[in-house]
This record gives sequence, structure tokens and C-alpha cells, in this order.
Amino acid sequence: MSTAQNVEPVAEAPRMYGLLAEFHDVQTLLNAAVALRKAGYKKWDCYTPFPVHGMDKAMGLRPSILPWIALAGAMAGVFGILALAPLCNAFLYPMIFSGKPYWGLPGHIPMAFALGILGGTVFVVHGMFVLARLPQFYHPLFSTERFRRVTDDGMFIAIEATDPSYSPSATTQLLKKLGAAAVEEVRD
Amino acid sequence: MASVTTTQVPGMTGDFDNTQDDGVSKAPLVLGEATFHEVTRKICRVAEAPRAPLAWYVAFAISTALVGVLGAMITYAVFTGVGVWGNNSPVFWGFPIINFVFWVGLAHAGTFISAILLLFRQKWRTGINRFAEATTVFAVVCAGIFPGIHVGRPWFAYWMAPVPNVMGAWPNFYSPLLWDAIAVGTYSTVSMLFWYVGMIPDLATFRDRSTTRIRHTIYGILAMGWRGSAKHWQLYEKTILILAGLATALVLGVSSTVSTDFAVSQLPGWHETIFPPYFTVGAIFSGFALVLALAIPARELFGLKDLITKRHLDNLAKITLVMGSIVTYIYMMEFFIAYYSGNGYEQFAYLTRIMGPYWRMGWLILFCNCVVPQIFWFKFARSTWWLALPAALLCLVGMWSERFVIIVTVLNRDFLPSAWHNYAPTWVDWLTFAGSIGLFFTLFLLFCRFLPMIAMSEVKSILPQAEGHVHDDAAAVKAGH
Repeated sequence: MSTAQNVEPVAEAPRMYGLLAEFHDVQTLLNAAVALRKAGYKKWDCYTPFPVHGMDKAMGLRPSILPWIALAGAMAGVFGILALAPLCNAFLYPMIFSGKPYWGLPGHIPMAFALGILGGTVFVVHGMFVLARLPQFYHPLFSTERFRRVTDDGMFIAIEATDPSYSPSATTQLLKKLGAAAVEEVRD
Repeated sequence: MASVTTTQVPGMTGDFDNTQDDGVSKAPLVLGEATFHEVTRKICRVAEAPRAPLAWYVAFAISTALVGVLGAMITYAVFTGVGVWGNNSPVFWGFPIINFVFWVGLAHAGTFISAILLLFRQKWRTGINRFAEATTVFAVVCAGIFPGIHVGRPWFAYWMAPVPNVMGAWPNFYSPLLWDAIAVGTYSTVSMLFWYVGMIPDLATFRDRSTTRIRHTIYGILAMGWRGSAKHWQLYEKTILILAGLATALVLGVSSTVSTDFAVSQLPGWHETIFPPYFTVGAIFSGFALVLALAIPARELFGLKDLITKRHLDNLAKITLVMGSIVTYIYMMEFFIAYYSGNGYEQFAYLTRIMGPYWRMGWLILFCNCVVPQIFWFKFARSTWWLALPAALLCLVGMWSERFVIIVTVLNRDFLPSAWHNYAPTWVDWLTFAGSIGLFFTLFLLFCRFLPMIAMSEVKSILPQAEGHVHDDAAAVKAGH
């Protein structure tokens, strides 16, 4: 889309993003997701106002690597503090506190516990944003008025035009056959 | 409309008694017209109404005035010195530590509801988890103020962090006070992230319903471009589950670590292995009393009786009862162990609690924390606001007094009678405490007015029409792996 006409004389036609189909109940949406996966579509997604149970199974989504990210963060927290404490109290400024050894594991467990939780939390939250590609303030779907209801009561399936199985007429027909109440084209 | 016909009987609104199941099916947790759109509308109208209820403005005026008092008291204490407080020798830990432990404890209910009840799949938590998490965040903010000013020279508070400095000195990692700083820092970070991540889908709802540019921009930035995609939901649900697991460890760990400030010392009355569970249970007890005391007026004030139903209040009161009973057990155990140990100092410390200079507070604790919650055995008390609300407030008084007595009665009767000295808070102490209450309510009222007070997406997911079945198991398993 051209913003300043004197810079870009020829206005580019909006690129076709794909098709947006609206569904009216969860069961139809889940059945449609199963059918689309079986029909071989790759670049599509379901959009709902709440998490739908069984959707990852219906769509064939793989489990994410988030638990491993959380584990890595927790380990970083635990071993980070277990390294930092002796670094400060035993090497950089060796000091005897209450006749205890320079480094002793029991006295550092409470901190390792807390920092394990902190590391896991920080990693998992950032990992989620990275894997979900958020923040993303612009998306072609935001340009349709209908899609604003996705955070209220709208349930949608969007199929991208770049999907190898995509065909404007056949995909529309398929979505209608699967119970879509409305299908519209979305342009970027 | 994308809504499905509701399975509910018309006329089942907020005053309907859904505390009993009929033995065949569960009583509904969402009353009134339970469609997806209706849930959105009821929750959003609190933040979208052009004007808040009059009571909101009155409460907000009072709480912001108290925040001003808090600012004045902190400024006075910092410029004059901590001598303006009642702290003395040997009671070095006066109001600042009492209020710190009290506020940290109040935070625990939110984490308990959003973490432990999530892992136990308690569906009723969806109605109250968001605002309980908000109380967590705000209570931790209030808690954090007190150690910050108690150091006397707040501009040196960063010495608690291992920052390289010209003196080459580092914090003592063996000190429970440092463990405490780390635990509470972790708690505030985790509870804020948990709260925010959980709120993202609802902030997107606010964004999509906004009618003005400024609302659209602010909620749009906060929602991070959330669009409810199945891939997003998959990551979101996994994140919430992992955070719940981590926060479960945290809810049991934070007050335990706070208790080591006391338990690791050598003082009779503090040096006890029961302290970590004791502080944690007391914290959850006071936290639930706070959530109950806030839920009762909030559902009336903002017209949320269909979503925060009698069942929610009933369950909150029941958990308060359970926690109050565990607290009672621990009190009995403390007194018994003091007697059974045969240690004169230990016995003296406990007799001082109920017969010493602060005996009134000692008995007040036993009344507020042991006797008062027992009324929640009765359904009438759980479902009657003018009984439940005062009872919850008395539990809060009791838990604050408990923190007072634990700290003051142990310190003011030292090993040597020549060192004995009583403690009395000054007007600065009292006004600082009142100011922290004002800060809590200011933040809470702003939250109610401008943020999604109830987790819309979670409430929608427990409606009957949100259920569906995947009729393709064999193929799905193959595709998923």
C-alpha cells in the first residue's frame, strides 16, 4: 500500500492474504480443522476467543519446545547463583561468616530454589513470545472488520494464499462445505 | 452471532444459589445468559462505562489521599532518620518488618488460586483468579516498600544486589535477609509476569472493542498483537501450565524463606522448624480472607454477580476455614512444643505471648484466627455477606496482630531482663501503614476500572458450548508425532 503518492507513483494492488471463514460453533470448527489437515493444507490456522480443547490434535500441531526452554532457564538460575555465591564470598572477597566455610551448599539452597523458579519463568515467558512471534502489531487479518470478533465470540479459520493446495474457488467451496457461515477474501 | 443456545434455565441470575450440586450434574458456574458474547459484554462494561459507580470515586479519593500520606511519611522518615519510628533497642524490627511480612502473606491467595487450583483443575477459579492475581501483585508492591525504607538510607538499598563496587565488598549469601530479598524479588517478578501473560487475550478483547483511538493504541500495545490463533493458544496454555507449576513451588517457598529471617536466628519463639509451613499457611489464610473481603463488595459494585457467584464466595470461605484451622493447629503445636521441650526460655517466650505486656493482642490473635473462621462451618455464614465480610476482616486483623506479636514479644523480652524494653509504634508508623493500605486500594481500584477484572477467555472456556470432540484420533496421533 502506498503511503505518500509523490514518492511512489504507481499504487500497488493489495496483496491477497487468503481466505477467512467464520464458524458458529466449536464442534463444526474442530471437524473443519480435521478435514483441512486431511486435505493437505499447510499454511492455515484456527482463531478462537478461548483455547479449544483438542484443537492441537485436530490441527496436528506438534508439542512445542517450551518445557525445555523452561528447564534451561531453571537450570541457569540454579547454577548461576551456586556459581555467583562462592565467586563473591570465597574468591573476590573471601570472608568467614559465623564460622561457616567459604562455600557450603546448604546455605545456598533457598536462593537456588528461588532463582530456579525465576529463571524458568523468565525463559518460558520470553520463549512463548519468540515462538508465537509476538509482539506483532500488524497482521493482514486485522484489516477485516469481521475478525475483530475473534476476541469476543467469533471463531475463524484462515487459509493463506501461499498454501500449495490453495485455490480461490475450490478452497472457498471446501470451507463452505465444512460448515463455514461466511467466507471472505482478506487482502494485505 | 457465534453463540450457541444456552443450556441454562432463564432466571438463574446472580442471586441464584449454585452452591449445591444436584447429584447428577454440576451446578453452573456462570449464571444469567451464558453466551460468549454476554460474558464479554458483562466484563468489558466495567471498563467501558463512561463513568464508574459513585462508590468507586469515593473509594478512589480516600485511597489516593492515603497514598499522599504514605509519600509524606516516607519523605519525613528518610529526611529525619528512622528515629521517627517506634523501633528501639532491642526491638529493632518494628512496624516495617511486621507490615512487610503481613503484605507478603496477603499476596499468597492470588498465587494459590492461579497456580495450585489450576493444577487441580478447579474450574471455579476462572471467575476470581484474575483479580486475586491482581491482589498478589499489589500486595507485593506494598510489601516491597517496607524493607526498602527500613534500611534507613534507601539510596543504598542496591547494596543488597551483588553489584561490583570500589570497596570490593559483596552481599553475604549466607544471610536469610538476602535469601528473603531474592525470594521476594522472584515473587514480584513471577507474579507480575504470570498476571500479564494471563491477561494478554483479554487485553486483545479490550483492543478489539475499543471505540477511541487512545484506547485502541494503549490496549493494542499491551495485547502485543494477540489474535487468538490456535498456535498461540497452544503456546499460551503450555506457558500458563509451566508458570502454574513454578508458582506452586513459589507459593510454598516465599513465606518459607521469609520465615527463615526468624527461624535461622537463635531466639526462643523464633528458632523453630515449624516456621516455614506456619508462615505459609498463615499467608494463604490471610490472602483468602482478603480475596473474600474484596470479592463481596466488588461483585455488587460492578454488577458481576453472574460471574462471581455465591459458589465462588462459598468456596473462598471454605478455604479460609481450612487454612484457619491449620493455623489453629500450629498455634497449639507451638505451645505444646514449648511446654514439652522443657526449655525455660522457650516456655517463657510463649507465656509472654498471652500473659506479657502484649497479652491483649495475644488473645486477639487466638480469637480472630482460631474462633472467627469457625463460623464458616455454617452455610448461613458463608452465604450471608454481613457475616462473611466482617469475619474476613477480623481474620485480616488477626493475621496482622500475629505478625506483630511474633516480632515484638520475642524481641522485647531479651535473654537478660536488663535489656528488656517495650515497643510502641509512633504516629509515623501508623500513618505509613495506613498509607500502604491506601496504595493497595488505589492500585486495585485502577485495575478494576481499566483492566479486565475477570479472565474472559478462561470463563468462556468453561461454558458448556466451548466443548467439542475430535473425531479423528488415530490420524491425529500420527500427525502429532
